Amino acid sequence: MSKLSFRARALDAAKPLPIYRGKDMPDLNDCVSINRAVPQMPTGMEKEEESEHHLQRAISAQQVFREKKESMVIPVPEAESNVNYYNRLYKGEFKQPKQFIHIQPFNLDNEQPDYDMDSEDETLLNRLNRKMEIKPLQFEIMVDRLEKASSSQLVTLQEAKLLLNEDDYLIKAVYDYWVRKRKNCRGPSLIPQIKQEKRDGSTNNDPYVAFRRRTEKMQTRKNRKNDEASYEKMLKLRREFSRAITILEMIKRREKTKRELLHLTLEVVEKRYHLGDYGGEILNEVKLNRPEKDMGTTPSSLHNGNHHKVQECKVKHPHHSSLKEEVADVVRQKKKYLKKPKLECVVTPQPLAEPLPVLSKSDIKQYDFHSSDEDEFPQVPSPMSEAEEENDPDGPCAFRRRAGCQYYAPRLDQTNPSYEGPELAELDKLRFRHCLTTLTIPRRCIGFARRRIGRGGRVIMDRISTEHDPVLRQIDPEMLNTFSSSSQTLDFSSNFSRTNASNKHCENRLSLPEILSNIRSCRLQCFQPRLLNLQDSDSEECTSRKAGQTVNNKRVSAASVALLSTSKNGISVTGGITEEQFQTHQQQLVQMQRQQLAQLQQKQQSQHSSQQPHLKAQGSSTSDCMSKTLDSASAHFAASAVVSAPAPGRSEGTKEQNTSHNNINGVVQPSGTSRTLYSTNMALSSSPGISTVQLVRTVGHSTTNHLIPALCTSSPQPLPMNNSCLPSAVHLNNVSVVSPVNVHINTRTSAPSPTALKLATVAASMDRVPKVTPSSAISSIARENHEPERLGLNGIAETTVAMEVT
Amino acid sequence: MAEVGSGRGGAARRGFGELGTPRTPRGAGPDEAPPPQGEVSEGCRLPVLRRNQDNEDEWPLAEILSVKDISGRKLFYVHYIDFNKRLDEWVTHDRLDLKRVQVPRKEAKTPTKNGLPGSRPGSPDRDPNGSARRAVAAQPGRKRKSACLGTDEDSQDSSDGAPSAPRMTGSLVSDRSHDDIVTRMKNIECIELGRHRLKPWYFSPYPQELTGLPVLYLCEFCLKYGHSLRCLQRHLTKCDLRHPPGNEIYRKGTISFFEIDGRKNKSYSQNLCLLAKCFLDHKTLYYDTDPFLFYVMTEYDCKGFHIVGYFSKEKESTEDYNVACILTLPPYQRRGYGKLLIEFSYELSKVEGKTGTPEKPLSDLGLLSYRSYWSQTILEILMGLKAEAGERPQITINEISEITSIKKEDVISTLQYLNLINYYKGQYILTLSEDIVEGHERAMLKRLLRIDAKCLHFTPKDWSKRGKW
Repeated sequence: MSKLSFRARALDAAKPLPIYRGKDMPDLNDCVSINRAVPQMPTGMEKEEESEHHLQRAISAQQVFREKKESMVIPVPEAESNVNYYNRLYKGEFKQPKQFIHIQPFNLDNEQPDYDMDSEDETLLNRLNRKMEIKPLQFEIMVDRLEKASSSQLVTLQEAKLLLNEDDYLIKAVYDYWVRKRKNCRGPSLIPQIKQEKRDGSTNNDPYVAFRRRTEKMQTRKNRKNDEASYEKMLKLRREFSRAITILEMIKRREKTKRELLHLTLEVVEKRYHLGDYGGEILNEVKLNRPEKDMGTTPSSLHNGNHHKVQECKVKHPHHSSLKEEVADVVRQKKKYLKKPKLECVVTPQPLAEPLPVLSKSDIKQYDFHSSDEDEFPQVPSPMSEAEEENDPDGPCAFRRRAGCQYYAPRLDQTNPSYEGPELAELDKLRFRHCLTTLTIPRRCIGFARRRIGRGGRVIMDRISTEHDPVLRQIDPEMLNTFSSSSQTLDFSSNFSRTNASNKHCENRLSLPEILSNIRSCRLQCFQPRLLNLQDSDSEECTSRKAGQTVNNKRVSAASVALLSTSKNGISVTGGITEEQFQTHQQQLVQMQRQQLAQLQQKQQSQHSSQQPHLKAQGSSTSDCMSKTLDSASAHFAASAVVSAPAPGRSEGTKEQNTSHNNINGVVQPSGTSRTLYSTNMALSSSPGISTVQLVRTVGHSTTNHLIPALCTSSPQPLPMNNSCLPSAVHLNNVSVVSPVNVHINTRTSAPSPTALKLATVAASMDRVPKVTPSSAISSIARENHEPERLGLNGIAETTVAMEVT
Repeated sequence: MAEVGSGRGGAARRGFGELGTPRTPRGAGPDEAPPPQGEVSEGCRLPVLRRNQDNEDEWPLAEILSVKDISGRKLFYVHYIDFNKRLDEWVTHDRLDLKRVQVPRKEAKTPTKNGLPGSRPGSPDRDPNGSARRAVAAQPGRKRKSACLGTDEDSQDSSDGAPSAPRMTGSLVSDRSHDDIVTRMKNIECIELGRHRLKPWYFSPYPQELTGLPVLYLCEFCLKYGHSLRCLQRHLTKCDLRHPPGNEIYRKGTISFFEIDGRKNKSYSQNLCLLAKCFLDHKTLYYDTDPFLFYVMTEYDCKGFHIVGYFSKEKESTEDYNVACILTLPPYQRRGYGKLLIEFSYELSKVEGKTGTPEKPLSDLGLLSYRSYWSQTILEILMGLKAEAGERPQITINEISEITSIKKEDVISTLQYLNLINYYKGQYILTLSEDIVEGHERAMLKRLLRIDAKCLHFTPKDWSKRGKW
């Protein structure tokens, strides 16, 4: 076998290698040299250095002798270790601690100057020391500061004086010396320093530049695209941050202005109080005399007293009717058309009213503050306090987006009128949420209502007023029982409209027989309690069961989302109805109905102005007892409603708008206040108007404890109210019954509690008596129960809105 | 790639070019026409008188790297061909053999890549092993680029994103072909450090204004540099360090090791690097010290903990390096401290549970020291193996590597170097000849300084979890 043909296997690091020693060593002469099989490992040296003389000599010497010989050592430049002054230089001794030395690396930087004095400096120091005392360290600190303060440009003497906290003469001496020395210095600084890199890369090849920063991170992968993207992201981030800063600055400015305004308002109010200008006349005079400053704003009418209420209603109706067709429009359009009412309100000449004082927006604003500020005194807040945020171009019916709400597009299938008759359309709308409902006790039809389960499982009836109410009320459950036991739950949504669409009604209202026939023919849904429970007098359980049945029967429409939303309504806040309450309520309703009807007839012909004393009387008498107050209030309400009642056709428009408004706006959370008030408005505008009054009444009565919440309806957190406030709560109720007439209050959707306060203010102002009890009571309630912030600043709500916008 | 050399380097080279004298590539024969006397300039090669360690006069061939005139007396900076740069020196006129001057030829037939006639061939074709390793080590960047650099050679660097900057890992540069004349010459004459006066071996980027001084004064403990003894004196009144400013992680007898974080204690790390650069040719100070840990070995006496040597180590090494730079200061050399440093570095690797290898390239002294350490360590193991139940003792290379933390390749190269590995009857065997055993035993008797693992108080940190360095 030829040696040359033999080829060894590769060396396997995992394979055990037997070790042969000394005498055991086999004769390796036969063996192939290892060098053939195992590739020679590199030395790890630079090739040309590997060949260096001394190394090769050393290596070969080691190979031969297996041990270094002295002469075979690689020569190096010599080093000496004979610094004889060492002990003088390094003074003192250092005892080795028992423990390992541990050092906090960041504590190493002591405050010692980096500059070390040399012998040249010493000469100067000696010279200076003849005149003054200067220690080496002191000198070093001075030079150190001068050096560190100057770059290529030396600091000036003036700057030096600022830098050094020394005697002027000393500074001058050291400075001059330093400048001289610096000029002669070979290096860039008297403190020798490693040359630093320059950003422009010009120092890349400078051998004296060392310890460059590692600007680029070690890359495992190069992705320039990614770099670019992240760079752009950073840029964007930066932009956005700077925007945020700007916005915050602006907010800060705005809030400051607001505070100023608040203070000014306070001042004005105080001044007015001292002047006794409770009605705002002096202020208005002043205002009128001044040229109109705010050019971009339309002066809003000052709603003063009772006239105003009527006007508003009057103004509203034509508008609504004219916009009836737009109901089906989408939200945006809605918004647009909502914008108009205010303008109309404002612009429409008021023939009946006395010339109204004109207020600039700022004044209105003032009273926003005012209403919450002035709680200490039983003073009548100014009538214009109910005026709304002037900045809102959408006017009273503004739709405001709220944070955290989700808004859906309007459901066109609901609002789409496939029928011609306006009143039918109206009914059709109602049926989406409200059904003709009959109660067991008292056995009668309460008109359109819907049922909800309130807190603690209590059953709440939301009633809605229609112009059919008087007719509907005549419906006796007996009438229905005769035929409709099976038809209750039928869904008639489709055929109702169709059937009725064919019937063209010239009148606005359906007659009783018509309705009945509709019910019979299942075109109109009617709920009524089950007959077997009818005679159960002590039937809390039964009532609930009835209610439960009603719920079951009730067709849950597609708009059930809206149901949810309406729970924000004041009614829902009331918390539910006990059976007892319910019964009393029903009785009261009947009573009220009668009264109101009576009043209606009585007052129908009476003049507009005649209401005023009446109202006053009512207002002042409210504190007596609850039921009475309510009655009188509702009576008053009805009266005013009658007076202001427009043509029936117009009221339909209102209703329609109302309904559609609910549909559109109410998907998540329409403001409860606006809703309630809307219905109130509706009631006022429609000639009977009773059911709405009842509605409000229901609120007030069923939960006396929650009166305020019911009124301050859209407040996210109902205000806590205890029983002690009851009497005043009654007043509040009364007031609220009256006040919703104001269009402006309706607009106040986002800041409910100020609205409530304003209601009170309005009520008080309507009476035109400075010390009217209701208003003062209300304000005191407000004072007690509102959180101060909310009192002081309806601006909070504004702030929120503003933030959303930005 | 079109990196223009720094003012200094560029000027130096331009001056060189303007000489108009033909350059002689390395190894080229002497020119026929010797230049007239006195015109010896940079680039010329001629025999220069040198006294070797045996005190014998020699006339090795040397290259004139620089000429300077000090008060009318010309001095020549010479590099002895095939001798290490550390022996380069300034010589007077009378040590030059002016009769045998070789003037560099103007246009060499094969122009050298670096344009510098020097001890380093610019030729890229080296032996396969060498070039392969070089490629790895030198990869994305070079230490410096010069104006006359061929673009083709470094075209792959452009993908790096920082074409002119060297790679950011490691502490050594292996490709010195682009060194300019400045870095090829020692710039510090003498360094005083404690009791010692050291003669630097290589260039170190101390502040330029300090380079011309006869002695550079360093604080022995914080390594701060000053230009005069008075400065050092003043400094010592303010500096209260008596040991390296780090945590002591090992102490046995008078020997201690201190660990210094290159990020946390920049000034000391930089000062240490500047000092070390004086004795390490391939060390680069291009980048900051952040990714390194410095292990400083000290010897204690009543004055404090005196630095003996040190090694640096990357906090995270992608290439299994457990040492970046390693240096025993000249006064302590050839007394076993180098091996102690190496042993310590492997002890750390053992604690970390990794194998390691020193960063390449090794210097001549580094190679000798490491080979010696590897040989002794491996032989120690091999000789410690006892025969079991009549069986011949055996061991795998992997086992050796695991026990010693010496990287597998280094184990193999050591076995090869010692000629222990042989092929016999179809398998590899390790043979321990008598003289190997004897030589080892003798060497171990002299090796008194050893690391005692029990005295090491070291917990490796996972630097990858601590953010970057």
